[in-house]
Amino acid sequence: MSTIMDYGSVYEIAQAVFAAMIDGDEGLLLPWDGDPPVIDDPVVSWVEVEGPIVGRAALTTSRDTAHALARALMGMGADEPVSDDDLVDAFGEIANVVGGNVKALLPDQGTLSMPQVATELPPTDYPMVHELHLAWRGDPLDVVIWLNRVNPEGEI
Amino acid sequence: MRALVIDDSRVMRKIVGGNLRELGFETVEAGDGQEALDVLDSGVEVDLACIDWNMPVMDGLTFVTKVRANPELRGITLMMVTTESEQGQIVRALAAGAHEYLIKPFTPQAMREKLELLGLVSMREYA
Repeated sequence: MSTIMDYGSVYEIAQAVFAAMIDGDEGLLLPWDGDPPVIDDPVVSWVEVEGPIVGRAALTTSRDTAHALARALMGMGADEPVSDDDLVDAFGEIANVVGGNVKALLPDQGTLSMPQVATELPPTDYPMVHELHLAWRGDPLDVVIWLNRVNPEGEI
Repeated sequence: MRALVIDDSRVMRKIVGGNLRELGFETVEAGDGQEALDVLDSGVEVDLACIDWNMPVMDGLTFVTKVRANPELRGITLMMVTTESEQGQIVRALAAGAHEYLIKPFTPQAMREKLELLGLVSMREYA
């Protein structure tokens, strides 16, 4: 399954989303340097892919970093408080745009669920195809993709 | 010029609306297709609608279809602003009556270029 979507393609999507929506510049979302980080007080946003290929695209980061992402996305000042609603909306939208562009790489069209945000992911039986440990402005942020073909006879 | 920004994400409405206001548009907002139809039914006149695809209650494609089916709304330029970037989805939206298609993520420059293609920015500049 991962042959249709290599690590570099997922990373390029994440970089493009952060550059266009959040930073206005590439280079602020980089591969994590070192052992995979432990993300304290995590916030997770994800969308589900439904169709001939099912799966999930998820972003995980710390609550503090999620707040910073929301502020950056909404053009807020560094000290402005972010409401819970705005945090869910902003962090969910980032997952939505990443997931939508990941879905576009799939050979079969499907649909995308509404984004969801929580403190942990619900379990899934889908195989993980890519796990990207990234650093946004130095803070850890993971992007993880799970995919599975509904009909295993059409294995890619 | 007035634009209707239709997206279930308040954050995205803020971003899209901000870009449009930078280009000189007034903006009104709706959180889904049905809410957008209600805005139009209330008599608010708009020149442009920027429409997300995936929304609760009524999605963007259904909204486009309903607007195109209403002769009183034929003057509205419809631009999808969405993560749905597969060629087949773009073709579906254009076949339903959308005039242009802007894929998220987008830059303010990309939005400006689409609106220039539609003649909306230059029309405003020379008005």
